[in-house]
Amino acid sequence: MLFVQSLVSGLLTGGIYALAGMGMSMIFGVMNVSNFAHGDLMMLGMYMAYFAFTLLHVDPYLSLVLILPVAFLFGFVLEKIFINRVILHPHQNQILLTIGLGLIMSNSALLAFTSDPKILTTAYSSSSITIFNDVFVSVPLLRSFLVTCLITALLYLFLSRTRTGMALRATSQNREAAQLMGIDVSKMSAITFGIGTALSASAGALIAPTYYIYPMAGHSFLLKAFTVCVLGGLGSIPGATLGGLIIGIVEALSSTYLSTDWKDVVVFTLFLAVLLLRPQGLFGDKGGA
Amino acid sequence: MSGQLLRIEGLTRRFGGNVAISEVSFEVRSGEIVGLIGPNGAGKTTLFNCMTGYLAPSAGDILFDSRRINGLRPDQVCRLGMARTWQRVKPLDRLSVLENAMIGAFLTTKSPKEAGKAALEQLHAVGLEAYTDRSAGILPIGLKKKLELARVMATRPRMVLLDEICGGLNSSETGAILDIVRSLRKQGVTILFIEHDMYAVTSICDRIVVLNSGEKLTEGTPEEITSHPGVIAAYLGGGYHARD
Amino acid sequence: MKSALLAAALLLSALFLPKLTGHDPYLVGVMIEVLRMAALASAWNIIGGYAGQYSFGHAAYFGAGAYATSIILTAYPATDPLLALVAGIAVSCLIALVTGSIVFRLRGHYFALASIAVAEIVRLSVLNLEFTGGAQGLLLSDLSFHGLDLNSKTPFYFGMLMLLALTMGVTALLSRARMGYYLQAIREDEDAASSLGIDIARCKNSALVVSAALTSVAGSLYALYIRFIDTTAVLDLRLSIEIILTAIIGGVGTIWGPLLGAILLVPLAEMLRSNFFGQTLVSLGVVSPDSPAGRFFADGLAHAHVLVYGVITVLCILFMPTGLLGLFRRER
Repeated sequence: MLFVQSLVSGLLTGGIYALAGMGMSMIFGVMNVSNFAHGDLMMLGMYMAYFAFTLLHVDPYLSLVLILPVAFLFGFVLEKIFINRVILHPHQNQILLTIGLGLIMSNSALLAFTSDPKILTTAYSSSSITIFNDVFVSVPLLRSFLVTCLITALLYLFLSRTRTGMALRATSQNREAAQLMGIDVSKMSAITFGIGTALSASAGALIAPTYYIYPMAGHSFLLKAFTVCVLGGLGSIPGATLGGLIIGIVEALSSTYLSTDWKDVVVFTLFLAVLLLRPQGLFGDKGGA
Repeated sequence: MSGQLLRIEGLTRRFGGNVAISEVSFEVRSGEIVGLIGPNGAGKTTLFNCMTGYLAPSAGDILFDSRRINGLRPDQVCRLGMARTWQRVKPLDRLSVLENAMIGAFLTTKSPKEAGKAALEQLHAVGLEAYTDRSAGILPIGLKKKLELARVMATRPRMVLLDEICGGLNSSETGAILDIVRSLRKQGVTILFIEHDMYAVTSICDRIVVLNSGEKLTEGTPEEITSHPGVIAAYLGGGYHARD
Repeated sequence: MKSALLAAALLLSALFLPKLTGHDPYLVGVMIEVLRMAALASAWNIIGGYAGQYSFGHAAYFGAGAYATSIILTAYPATDPLLALVAGIAVSCLIALVTGSIVFRLRGHYFALASIAVAEIVRLSVLNLEFTGGAQGLLLSDLSFHGLDLNSKTPFYFGMLMLLALTMGVTALLSRARMGYYLQAIREDEDAASSLGIDIARCKNSALVVSAALTSVAGSLYALYIRFIDTTAVLDLRLSIEIILTAIIGGVGTIWGPLLGAILLVPLAEMLRSNFFGQTLVSLGVVSPDSPAGRFFADGLAHAHVLVYGVITVLCILFMPTGLLGLFRRER
């Protein structure tokens, strides 16, 4: 039963990784940019959820209604002011720019909120339901998972049914061709970065009830989000979804059968293994050798 | 010496369901200048990429000097003596013209001094000696093409694959490049030459291979090719009849 | 040959700097830090600036050197520190070869990501294992090295100076040799480079191994100097980023760029840390120590040197991507 327990917890956390990975994968696909500020955007989402809860007494899951548009706007503006200038530059410059932005974000948070970890405790923070007789399912994680499913469904609908969504997919497949078709690719980049930011911020908000909230919290998620993306295939949303779930499960199983200290090492080793054996990931066509 | 230098046998390359080249076979003899023509999308550059190790063939064989070179890396192919230029020129932008040519020359020597001398020789041969210190990236296209040629010749290849070396050039620039290509043959280099410019192709090629939709349509001398109805149809569409 | 003479002159004058400051430990300490960052940025520059392969996990090699040296000397205190240093180099080269063999066949973003993954794996492993001291770190007790007094800072000044001279010398030699040309060709256009006979993976691996070895020596020296290391000090991602920032501010792909970057950034960080700006304004009477501005300088800005690094990084990438030296070079 320990195995099933790990599997279930891993699946639920994996949903959040999938959410974080989706945003990053979209940014890869449409803009071909590695966003190293991704973890820090998650951290901002965590703080937004925290303050919404403590100041406005809004439940973290409801505060998403506020967080999503605010984060989208933040990302949109960030792209217009900063990222857009380096879109055609070598990728190492893009990486350094996003690292710089991330450093500004995390250290501003440090100055503003100090490094004391904040804890978001809701009424149901420690409650759990029991399934299969002896498997405990944490309620906050379950709720996060359900909200993640909802957001993923909305994202899927947006990408497949709306004109903007289709324009985004076109830009992702071939930027030049999309431009020739009359698509404003720089607006697509800004929208994509906005969506990516919104997705990471919501991942942060969803994980806030179960995590310590501190300025450097995003850093551990950064490399994991990249692992999710590379595993799923850079630019592939279904890939990031599946990748997130897989990473969540791998992490949970390593925690249980190895030790919590080594779970990150396992995930990062998996990352290197993917690069070695199947660099294009599960569903990718971009990237690789 | 007119031995067979290059032999392509049944070369096929698929991209998923799309067959880019199918069962293409031909040979190039030592000292020849062979042209490879065909409408856009016929598979010419794909063929070059398979030959030089940038793509793996799905089927078929590539034999260079009787040696099967399928699956070799591009640098290995170059070291065996088959070098190529690029359809979209690839100058090493931030390096100087001389340094670009030296990179090619370094295949023959480890010493920067020797490489410099050899590179200068090649730059003289194409008429770029006045530009040695300029950054390669800011040259106009005609000079970039000349640099590409000088650089590849610095590797002292036995055979060069020229991918649309005349592309984007006006008629006097084309003439200059063709003169250089003719001089290459005098040095004993075998040449395989993708080109769209029919004047260029017919004026210097000994033989021409025609590709269409990934298959070899025919091959022959320039006279045979320009009067071949199938070739005319491929370029101009079926049902075309020359008006008398 | 002009630059060689300039380099020799600078090196010679640098030998007298400690004496000029009256062997003031604080100033010598700052100078050692400048030399350390310059050496690290210079070593990184070989793979990052010349070959164009940005390693975002170079702290792994620094930490490998520091930890290998410290582990050997705490377990076997009588060992010649030089041997411990060589052990560090061996470990670093191994890490470099493993990283390179996985990732140098791939294009684009992958090396950057893989280098971080490797560095994090090293950091977490060191953190979780026992013989590495885990989270507590490693403490080095009394050291002796051929009669030198290792309690004073001065020997380490000269040690770091020699390492910097070595690293810059290696860079200079490399840039004039065939390998240097090949690395730059790889940086400019990998397809073109391979079509000219360059074995891309082998060249990248060679550059990374050389870079890793030099970085490792800096790590070993640092461990002997500081006497106490832990993962935060020698294996943190922040160190990797600072190394890159130092190199790009001065100018990547140039011999003097990394040194220039270190000369700019290290004193700046020190001035922020010691609240130099706040205290200057206070002593000038512009700001009172109790005012909000005064307190901002003392409590806020003093801890904000990483924030300032972030701002500098963004500004540098947007407006000065070729670094300071790049501003003075024009496209011919």
